[in-house]
Amino acid sequence: MKLFTKYNRINITATIIIFLAGSVAFYFVLDYVLIRQLDASLRSEKQEITEYIQLHQQLPEIQNTKEQWIQITKASQPISNSITKTIPAYNKSENEREYIRQLIFMVTVNKENYLVAVNKSETETDELLKLIIPLTLSMVALILLFNYLINRRLITSIWQPFYNTINNIKDYAANQQSLTLSKEPIDEINLLNESLNKMTEQIHKDFYALRSFTENASHEMQTPLAIIRTKVESLYQLAEGKEIMMQQLLSIEDACLKLSKLHQSLLLLTKLENKQFILNELIQLKSILEQKCEERTELLESKHIKLQIDAANFEIHFHQHLAEILISNLLNNAIRYTAIGGTISISLFQKQLIVSNTGTTGSLDLDKVFTRFYKASDTGTGLGLSIIKEICTSAGFSISYVYEKNMHHFIIGFQA
Amino acid sequence: MKLLIVEDEYSLRHSMIEFLTTSSYLCESSSNYQDALEKIELYDYDCIILDIMLPDGSGLDLLKSLKQNNKSDGIIIISAKGELDDKINGIEMGADDYLAKPFHLSELAVRVAAIIRRKSFQGKSNLIIGNISIDIQGKRVTIENKELDLTQKEYQLLIYLAINKNRVLSKNAIAQHLWGDDMDFPDNYDFIYAHIKNLRKKIVAAGSEDCIRSIYGEGYKMQIA
Repeated sequence: MKLFTKYNRINITATIIIFLAGSVAFYFVLDYVLIRQLDASLRSEKQEITEYIQLHQQLPEIQNTKEQWIQITKASQPISNSITKTIPAYNKSENEREYIRQLIFMVTVNKENYLVAVNKSETETDELLKLIIPLTLSMVALILLFNYLINRRLITSIWQPFYNTINNIKDYAANQQSLTLSKEPIDEINLLNESLNKMTEQIHKDFYALRSFTENASHEMQTPLAIIRTKVESLYQLAEGKEIMMQQLLSIEDACLKLSKLHQSLLLLTKLENKQFILNELIQLKSILEQKCEERTELLESKHIKLQIDAANFEIHFHQHLAEILISNLLNNAIRYTAIGGTISISLFQKQLIVSNTGTTGSLDLDKVFTRFYKASDTGTGLGLSIIKEICTSAGFSISYVYEKNMHHFIIGFQA
Repeated sequence: MKLLIVEDEYSLRHSMIEFLTTSSYLCESSSNYQDALEKIELYDYDCIILDIMLPDGSGLDLLKSLKQNNKSDGIIIISAKGELDDKINGIEMGADDYLAKPFHLSELAVRVAAIIRRKSFQGKSNLIIGNISIDIQGKRVTIENKELDLTQKEYQLLIYLAINKNRVLSKNAIAQHLWGDDMDFPDNYDFIYAHIKNLRKKIVAAGSEDCIRSIYGEGYKMQIA
């Protein structure tokens, strides 16, 4: 949700609630005040009648109007206090129901008791109250409209530097130069920009430090490995006639080989993550695929694996070396996990490359299959598939894994 | 044949000297840039084995100065920087070959032999091992004038064994030489054994003695008296 939308939502809700509560309270207060006023005028009427009776000892002439009329009846029994009440009545001339405020009191003329009822119509009060509702509603609407217009202008202009900053950091990648966000007149945004500048500068430095560390560490490790390997090779010459020694030397050499492959793989992964490759070469995947399969002919034969290739000829924008690594890794993976006598089938088309192989172990763990050092068996470095995934990610390809009908399928979509 | 080995790491330098000396090369060595520069200016070598990262300079600068002086010494770069760009860089600057660390000494021996053959004999010499004669240029193998019909891999294997004759070569080294190192080898190297077996059969069938020996199936050796 946008800042402006969120702000507006809260603002509008609060305004509506406040105005509704306000108008309800206003209604009751006004009602109370108006009724009291009505009662006061009724009481002054009573006063007038009482005074007239005291003066003249007879009932006054009654002049009834539309708003006020007086009824005098003989009292069957005397009442001590005057009664004030609101009663519904029917107005014949207006043909509608309306409320009447009535004050009933007792007068005594010539020792006879009379009940006097002074009536006043409440219509005026009601009409006044009825006016309040549309008035309040139109006030709410007006205030909301102006609030909205003012806020929109204000928020967009005040928050503009903030949105500029967001736009700048949105596309920031660690291998880029650090950000240089401008100074702003608003303190908070200025602080934000300064912190971001500092932060990205640090990220940038750390990124390069880590990158050169990884590369140097990797290179420095190759020399001792080379020494181990050459010494093992010299020792082979002394191992003739000693089978155990030969076997042990071979496992040292294997470990050495694995270590150096691990290094190369980690270095490659780091480079891929750092986006150090420029993927703009036009590549014929078919010829690479054929060459890599050809290299593995003997290996496939030794495991009696049947290889089916169905490939189309087309070019895509990619990187020669990465394409070779991608296909090699896919093939290595398929060959490693195919049992003797199994089948590998590869289909390569403009849209996608699918490498499938028979597998008896069931589906690989879908969540972990592309995770580093995830291995379904104890062979290999466990980095092959994560390298494949990183290459696909950096080239903008999609990669997925499916297990279906005893076959593992690795599907690479070129138009992700 | 005279070689210069430029490598700052003592152990590695000595392993190379030891190994290549037994291949009857005359080996000289340098552990730093200055010393190597003096040596290449004063003498001619058939092949120079050059490490790129030296304590006081870059092997690539040595390569540059060799090219500037129009020296025709063969050059093979050995570097810990096994990346493709470095490889292409080295070759473009005039190196004959590039070998990433860690490497097998037997692999180095084959590469050095190939460079020397190309430089010194324009590839015209025959490699003769016992009574086997290998015509490198024509890719023909004959035993007492009988031509052997070898597959590509068997031919590569024979040259590898021949150049490293009388040496025990591990299955690993053979597999890497024949199939490169981007391949993933299964734990059993049966498919190497199959190639060795076929090559032996063909050599014996042509009338030569069975000179390839298996060392418990873990390694192989071409034994030539």
